[in-house]
Amino acid sequence: MIKTEKVLHLKSSRGRKVRVVREHYLRERVPCFSSLCQAGCDNDGKVLPGDLTHYVVPDAEVVVNFLEVLELTELQGVVFTQTACQALHSKGRRFYNRLKSLLRDPRHDCVLFANEFQEYSYRPREKGESQERWQSRCVYAAAAWYYHHLAGMMSVVMVTEDQEAVSRFSSLNSGVFVISFQDYLQNFWPGLQAAHELYASISQALQEKEAEDSSREFSEHLPAEVLEAGIKSGRFIQGTLNVSKHRAQNEALVTNEGLSSKNPDLSGGVLVFGSKSRNRAVHGDAVAVELLPRSEWRGKVTALTEGQAEEKSGEDGETKPMPTGRVVGILQRNWRDYVVTFPPRDGTQNQSRNSQRILAVPWDRRIPKIRISTQQADALQDHRVVVRIDSWPSTSLYPNGHSVRVLGRAGELETEVQTILLENCIHVAPFSEAQLREMPLNSPEQPWSVDPVEAGRRRDLRETHLVFSIDPRGCEDVDDTLSVRRLAGGRLLELGVHIADVTHFVSEGSLTDLEARSRATTYYLADRRYDMLPGVLSADLCSLLGGVDRYAVSVLWELDAQSLAVTSVWFGRTLIRSSYQLHYELAQALLNGEEAEVPELARLDPAERHAKLSELTEALEKLTHVARHLRAQRDRGGALELEGVEVRAQLDEEKNITALVPRQPLEVHETVAECMIYANHWVARKIQEAFPYQALLRRHPSPRQELFRPLVETGRARGFAIDTRTNKALADSLDRAVDPQDPLVNRLLRMMATQAMSQAVYFSTGAQPEDQFYHYGLALDRYTHFTSPIRRYADMVVHRLLTAALLLEQGAEPGKTPAGNKDLEELSEHINNRNRAAQRAQKLSVGLFQCLFFKERDPATDPRCVADGVIYAIRDNGVLVFIPEYGVKGPVYMRNKEGQVATTGPDGTCEWQSGSVRRYPDHIVTTSGCGSATFRLFDHITVRISVLSTNCHADTLNLEVISNKPHCGPAPPKPGSQGRSQLVQEVVRLAEEAQEKAAQHRPKLSREEREYRQSRTPNLYSILEEIRELALMDPDAAARVCAASV
Amino acid sequence: MAGLELLTDQGYRLDGRKATELRKVQARMGVFAQADGSAYLEQGNTKALAVVYGPHEMRGSRSRALHDRAVINCQYSMATFSTAERKRRPHGDRKSTEMSLHLKQTFEAAVMTQLFPRSQIDIYVKILQSDGGNYSVCVNAATLAVIDAGIPMRDYVCACTVGFVDETPLADLCHAEEGGGVSSLALALLPRGGQIALVQMDARLHQDHLETLIEAAMTACKGVSKVLDGVVRQHLHEASVHSRE
Repeated sequence: MIKTEKVLHLKSSRGRKVRVVREHYLRERVPCFSSLCQAGCDNDGKVLPGDLTHYVVPDAEVVVNFLEVLELTELQGVVFTQTACQALHSKGRRFYNRLKSLLRDPRHDCVLFANEFQEYSYRPREKGESQERWQSRCVYAAAAWYYHHLAGMMSVVMVTEDQEAVSRFSSLNSGVFVISFQDYLQNFWPGLQAAHELYASISQALQEKEAEDSSREFSEHLPAEVLEAGIKSGRFIQGTLNVSKHRAQNEALVTNEGLSSKNPDLSGGVLVFGSKSRNRAVHGDAVAVELLPRSEWRGKVTALTEGQAEEKSGEDGETKPMPTGRVVGILQRNWRDYVVTFPPRDGTQNQSRNSQRILAVPWDRRIPKIRISTQQADALQDHRVVVRIDSWPSTSLYPNGHSVRVLGRAGELETEVQTILLENCIHVAPFSEAQLREMPLNSPEQPWSVDPVEAGRRRDLRETHLVFSIDPRGCEDVDDTLSVRRLAGGRLLELGVHIADVTHFVSEGSLTDLEARSRATTYYLADRRYDMLPGVLSADLCSLLGGVDRYAVSVLWELDAQSLAVTSVWFGRTLIRSSYQLHYELAQALLNGEEAEVPELARLDPAERHAKLSELTEALEKLTHVARHLRAQRDRGGALELEGVEVRAQLDEEKNITALVPRQPLEVHETVAECMIYANHWVARKIQEAFPYQALLRRHPSPRQELFRPLVETGRARGFAIDTRTNKALADSLDRAVDPQDPLVNRLLRMMATQAMSQAVYFSTGAQPEDQFYHYGLALDRYTHFTSPIRRYADMVVHRLLTAALLLEQGAEPGKTPAGNKDLEELSEHINNRNRAAQRAQKLSVGLFQCLFFKERDPATDPRCVADGVIYAIRDNGVLVFIPEYGVKGPVYMRNKEGQVATTGPDGTCEWQSGSVRRYPDHIVTTSGCGSATFRLFDHITVRISVLSTNCHADTLNLEVISNKPHCGPAPPKPGSQGRSQLVQEVVRLAEEAQEKAAQHRPKLSREEREYRQSRTPNLYSILEEIRELALMDPDAAARVCAASV
Repeated sequence: MAGLELLTDQGYRLDGRKATELRKVQARMGVFAQADGSAYLEQGNTKALAVVYGPHEMRGSRSRALHDRAVINCQYSMATFSTAERKRRPHGDRKSTEMSLHLKQTFEAAVMTQLFPRSQIDIYVKILQSDGGNYSVCVNAATLAVIDAGIPMRDYVCACTVGFVDETPLADLCHAEEGGGVSSLALALLPRGGQIALVQMDARLHQDHLETLIEAAMTACKGVSKVLDGVVRQHLHEASVHSRE
């Protein structure tokens, strides 16, 4: 069967040295995964292409230290050896998993060769041989085997960092080139700048690490066994470190979901105060903390802090002491790529002596400064750069890192947008060629058409059903359509929801599917969007456009025409042709019986047009009727109507950025949303019944009651009793809490209710008990996402589950069993994370545009910078204000840095004078020499908006109170939606102009600069250096300089 | 040890085997002259010596004798040098006692005890080196020893352990795999008829997986039986050549 051979391994376990003998089996046939293989290896899966110039076999040390460089997709034909893999494994599981996902990734040309199991490439370790030496010998043997196995048809290059190995092996003549990694990059990839820079920065970081001084700044972390035992015995508490956004220097909370059930004391988390007790933990790490004695417990600071984290005297305005602890060990680092800004070089910085090391400031305030070793500190100042943290030894105040990629100059629109994407770990490279090759063709020469075989398998609704879609104006990716008709002589109504059949085009496991899975959702930013699927699908073949045949997945309900009770329901794949592509305003106009121009009917003669129009209007009316009934049904169950930016993103039945805009709520919005919710609900029921333990559903957990406290208190201030016991009670009391004078009161209350709630999440039914399936917001026992497969990956999963369920029902064997509970739970966790990232990115980009908008204006003169705000919460030294016109929320300080307070004159305008501030539950009073002013909850005040610029972080809006009277602007406030979209357009235009200007300015400036240089004649180095610097700005400009200087 | 990857993506195990491959089995019969039957068996790095005495009349208390069949008496022990750290107590501890009991049950199912009423068969097994799968190695060694003693059996008894990792059954676990948090199952089989003499499992396993696991264990046992059969035939061949001389 197999040839066996035994090997001795020496191993120590649990501290004691133990001699362990392990068997080691070798075999002749180990797949090589090369398409050039002549020996007929059993190569299934990923295979190295044969048309490369060479294969590269990295040494163990190279893989361990420079995995990031090898991760670049440009490096092709990488053969990882098992030896190197194991060396990486011993460095840490995280790195090993990265390598594993790299190997699985079909976009990346690299394979794993199990060299230690190959009879001829295996080299036993000799007595007294050091591990490194043995590893490089193994790798060399593997490389030599590879060369001979492929019969010399492909040159094989082994790269190593060990100069001694280079000289040792290159004298052996076995056809393998042995060179150092640096030489390799320079000779084989001279154009791959990213790899060179990455290599330089990593090797610099490694060198720095060796030359560390040893003064101790932090206490050592405890070893993993001690932590594990401590957590089990309850001495330590395990949790995730969340650094406070506003007081990143000092405050951090360690939270754990399971914690509150065990110990009610700790339900609010454990406070970690000060950087000493945080002990090198970074935001997001899983840590173990030890509680401090009760006498050292302290509270959180409740006062508003100004933008910069200034040292406060500490004692003012703390909450009551809460459990406080210190970090004793780190269970899992969760370091990601961080965006940092290199500080401008001025003489004051004490590092200027040591030009190699720079303290860069991360964009995210919660991350400590990172020490970067780089040669290009001058070139990079004021640039945003992606960095990774390498280590944080206990001897250092700051973590060490290396730079990976330069994004661009801080403050530019493109840089800032890239920063937002990166900070949320959103990677949206353009779709690769291989992915696009999988797509069906649809060009004017070769139009895509319905396949008759496929059509035969589907239910054809083209003739029988009047199908139409209602979407925002200008929507491209139409993924849902509706239909409604009478059946059985009017006794029955048939309601249909038809969803684009994306999974027909995207088969599971294909490259497109993998890409969609890793993106998980379409990302909408204020000025652009990144699609989950390639354009040919999302905007064309899957989009249910009007007047063309499209594949769909449909849910058809038969309802009793009188009681609207469901008599039967049908799921299945269909073929539809949408007759009308309506938008919301048009649909509402038709419903209201107004004169409206339907573009699809414009060409028909009047009589026919009239008939068609009445047919359509009747369908819309019926639809509205049904939707009202469904809504009422859910209302009885306690469905909530929520308000606020967050909720819209969550419900997300809109397609566009307009979703964020305070839009005119039309009834037809609700009608469409209601049908979609209904379809989602029924599909959830269907798949949960078919796959009780592996269906992907969406749940909305009931919120924690204590989070409602601010809402209840705020409501009480205005005299409304808010009952939060159940969702039904909350919905009712929110409905009652209406101030006839001020519609904003109700909106604000709803917004606060939304804030108190947790987010809805996807989950696998096998991972939760059945009573946890409930969707709190929608008041449904089961819910999922089914209706937007073009822009959500979860919907694609649900489509596949539904298809499998239908096949199962027909008795046919499903071609592929759906993913198991564990995989599905992992997947849903991934989708949840991506969704959160998408929401954060969207919010940040909106904030970015707001800042850019106001940055262009002078706050003192521009009337648009003065707006009306409503106070919705009171803090110790100020109030929180909501500005409906711009949808901005933010703090307004009543006491500024100099200790002055805002008091109002007789006409209501505010002045800054020294005085004091007193806080009450529902109002705040400022007193000074000239009198006092009172600000109550829900008071309208006038605020001035200005931009607080920081170099290293995102700009923030600064609000300043100028009057305690409502603002009445010179012009009536325009509808918000217009203002917002204008805002985006204007900022984009300005950015473009700025870029053009920069392109014109740059060459001239740089020429002037050159004159001040010491060397008169421009040497090659300086030219290259300049070009590179310019390349960061603008490719055109760089080309021009190149031409000018040569 | 939780960090060990028991099965790589390419389907290799720690020691380079594939999921269904057994360790190398080597055996010799008739290693001692004094005993009625004896055998030495290596399965990978697990090495066991089995010795059989009997059938002979009851020793010790005669009251244990059965009037219609023979009593099988098993004793399992581990050499003090059999593990990486020296073992203090070679036999008589709980584990050994339990193992002895399992062996007894296994061989009561296989040996045709009804041919020898009121008599006793002693099977002593000693693990010389332990590297996982002690029970199955003992069973396999004892089978050879019983055959060497000329005691009639229904069939060979072959045993093998299987573990379950990443939805894949692994045949014939080694020590590192047993310690790596695998739910393992030991199965003794009479391969020709496919009867199971003993199944033992004390880990948690979803019942859906049990069938595949037992299936894999039976295949592995059949593999072992082929090797044992070869050893017996080889031994017979040698013995006949020897006697002819």
